[in-house]
Amino acid sequence: MNVELQLDPRRTVPAWLAYGTPVLTVLAALAVGGVALVALNVDPVDAYGVMFVETLTSQFGLTEVLVRAVPLILAGLAVYLPLKAGLFNIGAEGQLLLGALAGTWVAVNVSLPAVALLPLMFLAACVAGAFWAGIPAWLRAKWDVNEIITSLLLTFVAQELQSYLLRGPMQGGTGNFPQSARFSDAATLPPLAGLVPGGESIPLFADVHAGLLVAVAAVVATYVVMTKTRLGFEVTFVGSNDEAARQAGMSRHTVYLFVFLLGGAFAALGGIAEIAGSQGRFRAAFAPGYGFTAIPIALLGRNSAVKVTLAGLFFAVLFVGGSSVEVAFGVPAALVEIIQALVILFLITSEFFKRYRVGIAFDRRGNDAPADATGGDARW
Amino acid sequence: MVSFAAGLLNATVQAATVLLLAGLGELISERAGVLNLGVEGMMLVGALGGFVVTAVTGNYWLGFGVGIACGMALAAVHAFLCISLKSNQVISGVMLTLLGTGLTTFFGSGWVQESITGFPQMTFPIVGRYLVHLPLVGEAFFRSTATDYLALLAVPVVWFFLYRSNLGLEIIAVGEDPEMADTMGVPVFKFRYLAVIIGGGFAGAAGAHLSLAFSQLWVPGMTVGRGWIAVALVVFAQWRPSRMLVGAYLFGLLDALQLRSQSLSLALDPNAPLAGVLNPLVNTLMNPQIMSTYPYLTTIAVLSYAVIRTESVRLAVPSALLQSYNREMD
Repeated sequence: MNVELQLDPRRTVPAWLAYGTPVLTVLAALAVGGVALVALNVDPVDAYGVMFVETLTSQFGLTEVLVRAVPLILAGLAVYLPLKAGLFNIGAEGQLLLGALAGTWVAVNVSLPAVALLPLMFLAACVAGAFWAGIPAWLRAKWDVNEIITSLLLTFVAQELQSYLLRGPMQGGTGNFPQSARFSDAATLPPLAGLVPGGESIPLFADVHAGLLVAVAAVVATYVVMTKTRLGFEVTFVGSNDEAARQAGMSRHTVYLFVFLLGGAFAALGGIAEIAGSQGRFRAAFAPGYGFTAIPIALLGRNSAVKVTLAGLFFAVLFVGGSSVEVAFGVPAALVEIIQALVILFLITSEFFKRYRVGIAFDRRGNDAPADATGGDARW
Repeated sequence: MVSFAAGLLNATVQAATVLLLAGLGELISERAGVLNLGVEGMMLVGALGGFVVTAVTGNYWLGFGVGIACGMALAAVHAFLCISLKSNQVISGVMLTLLGTGLTTFFGSGWVQESITGFPQMTFPIVGRYLVHLPLVGEAFFRSTATDYLALLAVPVVWFFLYRSNLGLEIIAVGEDPEMADTMGVPVFKFRYLAVIIGGGFAGAAGAHLSLAFSQLWVPGMTVGRGWIAVALVVFAQWRPSRMLVGAYLFGLLDALQLRSQSLSLALDPNAPLAGVLNPLVNTLMNPQIMSTYPYLTTIAVLSYAVIRTESVRLAVPSALLQSYNREMD
């Protein structure tokens, strides 16, 4: 008996599929992640209880989630923007690191009052991040050099640069740890409580730093640019139909440079906000792959900046909950990495079901019937 | 100086083997039109799988085989997603690396303290007995682990497979023009699966070599970016096995130099002209971390140069790389 899959390309995606996909994806990833937990003799219900319920119901957990979400959302935008133009920026990690390095250099070497120093740090970070993202963007726009490979390779260059600087010219503090000198108070982001009217009365705001405002501003800016401006429209147009956009007289070069430069600047903001807001000094391992986590974040939220924010918050919960699970059950925090990978895996699987309607045909005669013209490739 | 050079060469051979195996696998996969950014993940899975089996059974050849199989299994996931489900190859590859890193860190945490007896150093069969006494190159090339010899042997084998066997030529055809290949009766989907899975086997072998011969222990994330270098190396080698050999040894040399750069002093006499400028510059350029950026920067330069000067440098990038094949007539 031959079993043959029948694939029909869909013209429209049914609403339940469009809205259900992110939720189902996450649930499926958690379910398979549970299998890994069972393999280590940990009850997945208990573990996920610690991971999500305790994180989301405790003051400490919620604070940590908001703090972690800042670099994740900003790096997510750095992947999301080029994705809208049909480009892949898988080097957000490098842009984040380079921005953080530039911002740290200013923080450690310039003495100014906080009002001037903090903007200068963030500006330096933006310039460095945009520059790092600008290299693959320029090579792609000008010469058609594949931006995937170049942005990725530049990430590894950034990691080595970071390692060099923190062991050498930028090494500060006692001991030989690869880290910078501690930031002065003027270079430290204040907690939200003092900045927002009535902030003192909101318990969460005592420990969440002002970087959250930066992230919110970036999301709002991205949303406005993408939905309300001509440039945002051009980005979407180039992303959906490169050739038609060219015919309409739109400049691919401008669009490519715009999405990468802005994205790189956002990733850099995430890096320096994390350091100036919660770390207090540049430590070598301060960003545990935020820039790579940005890829599933941008994929989950590929439709809008608001969804990127939600996805960023979800991964922040995973990170925070992951460390709680590590402490409570002795399970390696790599569980978070596995769940991340599974989210991507199920997400790209569901993309297939969005594009094709799948049916199964049984050929009971058992002979090799000629493949149907519209679904002939389906046997693989 | 001679002993320094001989030691450096020895370290180069060892560092090059990992890159050579992983790079050849990625080359085969990309020749069929499938970019696999999961090399790092497949290597780690191969390294842990091979290590665990060797630790349990004490048989390192069995461990090596299981390492290869683990790499193949992970590559099969990529093949299914990219070929059958026509998913984006970049996303799927990144997923594979995340998955491999996560799974091996998660399940490998208990194996960190284990010790094994891995591949021993051996002289090359038959002729090695005489050639090992050659100055400089003797020890490096003729007293090594079996996996080092296998990696070197793999270069002509892959070359012969790709350019002289029917199957290899058909795999190249599938990567250049799948429609045409399909018209000629080449089973595009089957051969792409085959190439990706063979590529995964090579990555698994590279990982198993790392844990069974190179370091003889398991540490989470022990590939430290070598998988990404292998991806870069394919671009550097312009999709040709012979240049892969050159590239792997060049990058291996950088790797070995980087570890030994402290013991190498290139400082000018402080009174010499320009010493004040040149010495700090040379110091910075010879810094181990700065040296680690060279492979990546070189690859970006080679890629850009080759793309910009396409008329004078024939870049053998497979035309259908990154494109999923749709057999529909729409």
